Amino acid sequence: MKHELSVMMLSWEFPPRVIGGISPHVFFLSKSLAQKGVKVYVVTCDFPGAPAHEVIDEVEVYRVDSYKNPSPDFATWVYLMNLNMEKEAAALARRLPGGIDVFHAHDWLVATSGIGLKHVFRKPLLVTMHSTEIGRRDGIHTDTEKMIGETEAWLTYEAWKVICCSEYMVSHVRWAFGLPQDKIVMVPNGVKPHVLGDFEKEDSGAFRRSWALPEEKIVLFVGRLVYEKGVHVLVNAVPKVLEKVNAKFIIVGSGYMKEQVLNIVRNTKMEHKVLFAGFTDDATLLRLQRCADVSVVPSLFEPFGIVALEAMAARSPVVVSDTGGLSEIVDHDWTGVKVYPNNPESLAWGIVKVLTDENYKKNLVENAYKKILDKYDWEKIAQQTKKIYEGVLSEYSKSFWA
Amino acid sequence: MKLMRVMILSWEYPPRVVGRLAEYTSALTTQLVKNKVETYLVTYHDFLTGLTEESNGTKVFRVTNPVRTHIGVLTWVLTLNQEVERVAANIYFNTNQEIDLIDVYDWHFVPAAVILKNGLGLPFVYSVESLEDHRSPAANTPYSMAIRSIEWLGFYEAKKISVRTEWMRDEIIRIYKVPRDKIVVVKPSTNSWVKEVLALYGAVSGGLKNR
Repeated sequence: MKHELSVMMLSWEFPPRVIGGISPHVFFLSKSLAQKGVKVYVVTCDFPGAPAHEVIDEVEVYRVDSYKNPSPDFATWVYLMNLNMEKEAAALARRLPGGIDVFHAHDWLVATSGIGLKHVFRKPLLVTMHSTEIGRRDGIHTDTEKMIGETEAWLTYEAWKVICCSEYMVSHVRWAFGLPQDKIVMVPNGVKPHVLGDFEKEDSGAFRRSWALPEEKIVLFVGRLVYEKGVHVLVNAVPKVLEKVNAKFIIVGSGYMKEQVLNIVRNTKMEHKVLFAGFTDDATLLRLQRCADVSVVPSLFEPFGIVALEAMAARSPVVVSDTGGLSEIVDHDWTGVKVYPNNPESLAWGIVKVLTDENYKKNLVENAYKKILDKYDWEKIAQQTKKIYEGVLSEYSKSFWA
Repeated sequence: MKLMRVMILSWEYPPRVVGRLAEYTSALTTQLVKNKVETYLVTYHDFLTGLTEESNGTKVFRVTNPVRTHIGVLTWVLTLNQEVERVAANIYFNTNQEIDLIDVYDWHFVPAAVILKNGLGLPFVYSVESLEDHRSPAANTPYSMAIRSIEWLGFYEAKKISVRTEWMRDEIIRIYKVPRDKIVVVKPSTNSWVKEVLALYGAVSGGLKNR
């Protein structure tokens, strides 16, 4: 296949190494770009048992030794890992007959590699900012956080374009680093393709019965049990929902707030109505989403909100708090229900509304699924990303570096 | 007519004087220019950034660190190196991609030398002023080990290693198991000092050329 352009993705995680959302993002983006005729090289950290080089659906993956250098702390490890990553990436880019047209970095974790490669090869650098230090920590409090924040600012300064996955992140990144508006572009995140497609509803199956009584509606929460995910808002809403509808609340995920949340459940005597499932594997999670009568995302801070998207793809109606990326994914009364953040009464109202009106629910599910196919499909996301590469390369071709 | 074009990377150069390296690199560049070597030097200064042509004829680029807050020397060094790479690449492209070699002093700018070698094919000499093993003897902290791993990388990737004494040569062989014939002893005190430096540069760049 003749390739019009080649891109080198720099990411500190790529399957089977999965730490957060960057790993699946780079995986699906790279595969979809390859299908669009873009030659993609991924340079990433190694993982036990994973080969140093492999080709996955035409994507060339190179895993570099990331633990060669002993490090005193995590941030220093990141910069040392970048030394090995940049070295391997530089050697690779030099030996490729066609070279590399664009370097694409994901988050500050590969900042120094991306910046160095840009200058050594005089090719444009793009960055996707999946998150920011100031957002993650709700402010900058320590020297480490300040250093990481300044590294992020440097990376966005050096980048030709900065990609964000939601309008919320566009304005956040613009505010955090003082970037000009036309330097930032929004390309949404996509859903995992395997969650799409038709399936049998497991309404009365044994799987559903292992989670809830036949007469109970299933209310599903998926997320880390941490403050910003708002799981405490949900358990506070439980008695208010039960005044109107009989339901079972299933909570998937783990985190430091588990004890605190359990205490709320005990104090309200709702132990028989709230089920803590802990972590589940991907297949079980998908089946749960497919038989849930409603999925709730009561987050207080959410850069994107992939969990709402995946519930919508599994044809579960969603009730989300009107904040961050969730505000854009869900259109109230059309693709889901939006409620006031950090407000159990409002959340209970939204859940009851969905559970008591079958027609309303059916409409939400259909519209949501259409929106997913229309906006959050990796094929379309790859097309948008390729266009950004081409736009940058066209500007670049008029620069003195070309 | 220039004999060759060399790029020196040193984290010390006047007016920034930390140890003896500033005085040495100043004397070296003066001698190189006198011997018709086109000499570029990349160094660090907190605020005197940019290009200056020194009175001795050396072209000096000073860079500062774009990341102002740090938790240690390691993070400071590892973020400064991309600025070194940036100006080194600028020199490379502005000289029609004809740089004969890089001479890097101590571990601080070894990362940049390694990247420039792997990315642009520029060979480098690693000139050793001191070793972490002597600065922090017997320190097995991750911090000290990380610096040693950067020194090791420099010895591994360098085409030649330059030292001032036979003692330093033997120490490098003892600690890093470097092959003896990779290390060249050049004593600044002798009369033939500059000739020996030029011979070393010639060996690394594949012979003297007329530019």
